[in-house]
Amino acid sequence: MSNDIYTPQDHVPLPPKDAEVLTTACDYCIVACGYKAYRWPIGSEGGPKAADNAFGIDFPSNVLQAWVAPTQHNVVMHKGKKHNLIVVPDKDATVVNKNGDSSIRGGLLAQKCFNPDTPTKDRLQKPLVRINGELQPTSWDDALDIAAALAKHVIAKHGANAYSVKTYSYQFVENTYAITKFARRHVNTAAFTFHDTPSDVTSTPGFRDAGYDNFGPSYDDWGNAETLMVCGTDPYETKTILYTQYLMPALARGQKVVMLNPRETAGVAHAKKHGGLHLQLYPGTDTLVVGAITRVILENGWEDKEWVKKWVNNKWESNSGFGQGTRNTPWQWRSTWGKFQTKGFEDYKKWLLSQDEYKAENAAKVAGVSADDIRTAAKWMAKPKADGSRPKTSIGIEKGFYWSNNTGNTNAISSLATTVGAGGRPGQMVGRFGGHQRGGTGGGKYPRAKSPEKVPGRRKRSLDTDRWLVSGHTRMAHVVGTTWVQSMTGSEGLAAKFHELVVANPNQPKTNNKADIIAALKARADSGGMVVIDHDIYLRDPIGAKFADIIFPAATWGEEDFIRANGERRLRLYQKLADAPGEAKPDWWIIAQLGQRMGFDGFDWQNANDVAEESSRFSRGNRKAYHMIKVAAHAEGKTLHQKMRELGTTGIQGPTFYNYKTGKLSGSKRLHDTTLTPEQCAERGAPIGANMVNKKMTHFNSQTGKINIQKHPWGLYSDIWEFVQPKDDEELWHTNGRINEIWQTGFDDRERRPYIKQRWSHQFVEIHPADAKKRGIESGDKVLVYSDRVPAFEDTLVGVGGDDFQFSELMKNGHIKLLKGAYEAVALVSDVIKQGVLYADALNTDQPSNSVQVRVVDNISGNYNYKLGSAKIKKIGESEFKKEFKRMSFVPRNIVTKA
Amino acid sequence: MSEQKKRCDTPKSHNACMMNRRDFILFSSAAIVTTSTISLTLLPGTAHAAEQKAQIAGYPRKKIGKLSELKDNQPVDFNYPDDKGSCTLVKMGVEAGGGIGNQKDVVAFNYLCTHQGGPLQGTYQATDEHRTLGPCPLHLSLYDLRRHGIIVSGQAYQSVPQVLLEVDGDDIYAVGMMGLIFGRNKNIMDA
Repeated sequence: MSNDIYTPQDHVPLPPKDAEVLTTACDYCIVACGYKAYRWPIGSEGGPKAADNAFGIDFPSNVLQAWVAPTQHNVVMHKGKKHNLIVVPDKDATVVNKNGDSSIRGGLLAQKCFNPDTPTKDRLQKPLVRINGELQPTSWDDALDIAAALAKHVIAKHGANAYSVKTYSYQFVENTYAITKFARRHVNTAAFTFHDTPSDVTSTPGFRDAGYDNFGPSYDDWGNAETLMVCGTDPYETKTILYTQYLMPALARGQKVVMLNPRETAGVAHAKKHGGLHLQLYPGTDTLVVGAITRVILENGWEDKEWVKKWVNNKWESNSGFGQGTRNTPWQWRSTWGKFQTKGFEDYKKWLLSQDEYKAENAAKVAGVSADDIRTAAKWMAKPKADGSRPKTSIGIEKGFYWSNNTGNTNAISSLATTVGAGGRPGQMVGRFGGHQRGGTGGGKYPRAKSPEKVPGRRKRSLDTDRWLVSGHTRMAHVVGTTWVQSMTGSEGLAAKFHELVVANPNQPKTNNKADIIAALKARADSGGMVVIDHDIYLRDPIGAKFADIIFPAATWGEEDFIRANGERRLRLYQKLADAPGEAKPDWWIIAQLGQRMGFDGFDWQNANDVAEESSRFSRGNRKAYHMIKVAAHAEGKTLHQKMRELGTTGIQGPTFYNYKTGKLSGSKRLHDTTLTPEQCAERGAPIGANMVNKKMTHFNSQTGKINIQKHPWGLYSDIWEFVQPKDDEELWHTNGRINEIWQTGFDDRERRPYIKQRWSHQFVEIHPADAKKRGIESGDKVLVYSDRVPAFEDTLVGVGGDDFQFSELMKNGHIKLLKGAYEAVALVSDVIKQGVLYADALNTDQPSNSVQVRVVDNISGNYNYKLGSAKIKKIGESEFKKEFKRMSFVPRNIVTKA
Repeated sequence: MSEQKKRCDTPKSHNACMMNRRDFILFSSAAIVTTSTISLTLLPGTAHAAEQKAQIAGYPRKKIGKLSELKDNQPVDFNYPDDKGSCTLVKMGVEAGGGIGNQKDVVAFNYLCTHQGGPLQGTYQATDEHRTLGPCPLHLSLYDLRRHGIIVSGQAYQSVPQVLLEVDGDDIYAVGMMGLIFGRNKNIMDA
C-alpha cells in the first residue's frame, strides 16, 4: 500500500525506560521550540505504566501531559542499526515552548528523518553528474573534481563575479560560515546572495537606518506589551508558539492587539474575539496606514515626549561627525539625499503633517480601511492613561509588511515605534517576528566594491544576482539548499533564462569520462552559457532536476550536530539523531572539499565542532554572538558543541558574556535595553577579556546610539503601486505568503508528509465570496490565476540621475519588461481574504504564485516587494477535491468559538 | 461514473478495489456509497479481508443511538471504545465522509484534541455548508467534520479520531475508531 496516503494508526510504541534522550529544536519557524528525541533499538517498546516508559508517566496521559502521536514516530538508522525514534516537544521546557507546546510543523519532525519505507525514500544519497541530459551517480571525488575544475576555470577566465553563489542564510552556523568563507572571502564574488533576496542587502532598511535591530525583543516583551501592533503576519499561522504561549495569555489579560493584514486567519479572528483591531488593508498600503496612525498621535500630542527628547537624534546628531553621521550611512548612500533624513523629531512632525496622503481619511480610503480604526489604533498605542502613564506598546513586523514596500514600510514603522516610545524597554520593543531561524555566521565580507551595480551618488549596491544572470554574466551558478527559481518573483522569466543558458546550450557532457565532462562544461561557460552545481537533500525541480550539472547530496537537521539561534537570539545545539542517508554529507564538508581542491587555505576542518569553533570569533559583536560560550567551554575543558549540548533546549540568548572571575556564562534577554544598569553589565563580566560590548546592548545601532527618525515619502513607491493596482473589473490584487500547516518547507511537509499532503493537496487561492460570485467561482473549482503585465526589471544598471531607479524612470528608459505569469490553483471562497484581493501559498513550487508578483526591486534597498501583485482569475473546471471528502478542506480559517 | 467503479476498471487497479475499512472511510464520497450501512462482505476471502478485520479487531460493537432520535446539528455525547472515551454523535444535515444514514450525514468523533488533549465539547458548529469541531480552547485547532476530522487550521498532528459507525435498522453502532485517541498508546488500553 502506498505510504503516500495518510493512514490513521491506532497504536504507537512508547519509548522504554532506557531509551536514549537527545535534545534538539524544531527545524522550521523562527521560534525554534525545544524538542526531545527518544531513541532505542527496534524490537522493544515501553509500557503504559510510569515505571515502564521513558516519560515516567502513566498512560492514558492527561491533557497537556506527554503523549506520542503515531505521526511522531519513525524508524531510523543509528550507527548502521535500525532504531525507533520519537521526536516530541520537550515537556520540561521552561523557555520558548514552555511545558512542551508545539506546532503542527514541529510536531511532525520525526517524519523529517530519512526512512526508506516512508516518502523520504528519495533523499539524495549519492553525488550526481548530468551526462547526455540524465543525472547519473558518481563518486564524491569525481563530482568534487569536476566542480572545482570548473570553478577555477570560470573564475580565472571570466572573473570572480561570473561565479554566482545563491545559498540559504539560515541552515546552521557551521554551514553558513563555511559557505560564506568560501564564496565571499576566497572566491570573493559580488554575485553572492541569500535564498530570499536577489542581492545581499538588509531585509529591513528602515530598522537599520533608525538604529533598531531586527531581533532585539525577547518573547516575553511581546507578551508583556499592553498594546501590540502586528504588521504583515498572523503569528498564529507562522510563529505558532509565539502566539499560543505569549499572545494568547496576554489577550486573555486584556492586551490590545492591532493587526495590519489583508487576511483574517485564526490568530486574527481570535484576537478580534478578544477585542483586537484588524486593519484589513490592500497590499502595499501599510506605509499610508502606519503614517496616518503616527499623524493622529502627533495631532493629539500623544507622542512619548520624554523618550523622544532623550533618544531621538536632533539635527546635529543626525549629521554628527563628518564621515560618521547620516551623510555617511547606507541611508544616504542609497542616494536619497534628504528624502528620508530629518533634522530631528519636530522636523519629522512638520513633514508628516504637511503630507496630505497621511490624513486618516485619505490613507483609509486608499488602504480600504476605516479612518475610525486608524484613530482607535493611535489611541491604543499612544494615548496616555488617566493617571498620566503611557500604555506599554510594542510593534512586530514580518514579510507581508516589509516585503510589500520594503523601504517605505520599514521607515514608517520605525518612526511610529519611536513616536510611541517603543524600542528599548521591557514590553516596549520593536522588531521582526521572524521567518527562518537565525543560523548565519559570516565567514567573509561581501565585496561590495566589486559590484558593478551602482545607485546614483557614489555608492555601490550589492549585485542583483537575478538580473546579473538574466543578463548572461553568470557562467557558473553554485546553489546551496534553495530553489532559486521559484523563490524569486516573476519566476517564469528566470526559469526560461536558466533553460537557455544551461539546457539549450550545445555544450553538454556526452560521456562519463571526467576530462570530457570538464571540457564540455568549460566550453559551455566559455560560449556564454552557464554551469550549475547544487547542494540539496532532495532533487528539486527545476534547479536540481532540470538545470544542475552536478548535485551534491547534503546531510541536514538531525544528521549532524549543528548550532542555530531563534527569534529571540536563543542559541541551541541541534543534535544528531540519526545517520545521514547514503553518502550524504553536511554542506560544510562539501565546501571544505571544494575549497581544498581550489587551493584555498583554512578548509581542513575535521568535524562540525571545528567549524563552529573557528566561526565563533566572527560572531563577536553580533546579536547572537556565541564566542563567549566557546571561551566558557574551553575554560571547562569542553568543546563548544559539548557546552551547547549541556545547555539543552534552554540554550542561551545571544549576545553571550563570560565572567572570568565567577566562571558564569550569561546571555542577553533583549537588545537596546536602556534599563540595563552598569552593575548588571559588570556582573556579566563585560568588558573584560574577549567579552565584546557594543552599542546595541544598551543603545541603538546608529551613529550616535540614538534613534534616527525618518520620513517615509509615499512618492518613492506610489508609481509602482499605482501601476500594479487592479486596472479593470477583472483584475484583483494578488498577494501570497505562508500557511500554518505547511510552513515553507515544501520538500518536507507539502511533499512528504501524507497527512499534510492530504490537507493541502494542491496550490490554492483564497478569493472573497463577492469576487468569486462575480466570476462564477465556487470552493473547489479549478482556477487559473494569470497576468500579462508582470513588470520585470531586466538590466544591471549604473545609476547617475537621482531618480534613475524610480519605477517610472525605469519604465520610461526601457528597463522594465512586462512578462506573462500564470498558475493553476483550487479556489477557496472565503471572507478570510479581503474583498478585491487574492491570496495563495507563496512557495508552492509546482504552481508558483510568485509568477504573477512584481519582479522589480525596491528602488532604495534592492529587495523584491514580493507581496505586491495583481492578477485575473478564471474558472477552468472543477478540481477533484470539490466533491470528495478525503483531501483538502474548504472551511474558512477564521471560525471562532461562539459564545 | 463513480470513483469506485473507475478504480475497478483496470486490472492494475484491482487491488485498489479491495477496500478495507480505512479505505471505505477515506474514499467514500457522494458517488460511491449508495447503501446506508457498511457492507462487510466486500472482500471475502482476500488478504485485504484480514486487514479489514484488523482495523476493527478488538473494538467493541456498541449501540450508541437511534437515527430517528437525532436532530440536525444537535450533538449527542457517548463514550467509546471504553468509559473514558468521550465522543460525540451528530447528524449534520449535510453529507460527510464516513457519514451514515440516508443522507450520509451522521458521523461520530472523539472529543479530545489530538494536539495536547484539549476538550472539544461544546465546540461543534454549523457555518453555511461547513461543519466543524473547535477551535480547541487551548491552542485553537479546528477540525473539518465533513472530511473525516481533518485539521482546518491549527496544530494537531493528526485528524480528530473518527468513530466508525454501522446502522442496523434504526440503531446506530460504534464499531471502530480511525486514529489514536489523545493520551493513549493504543485505543484499546489494557485494563
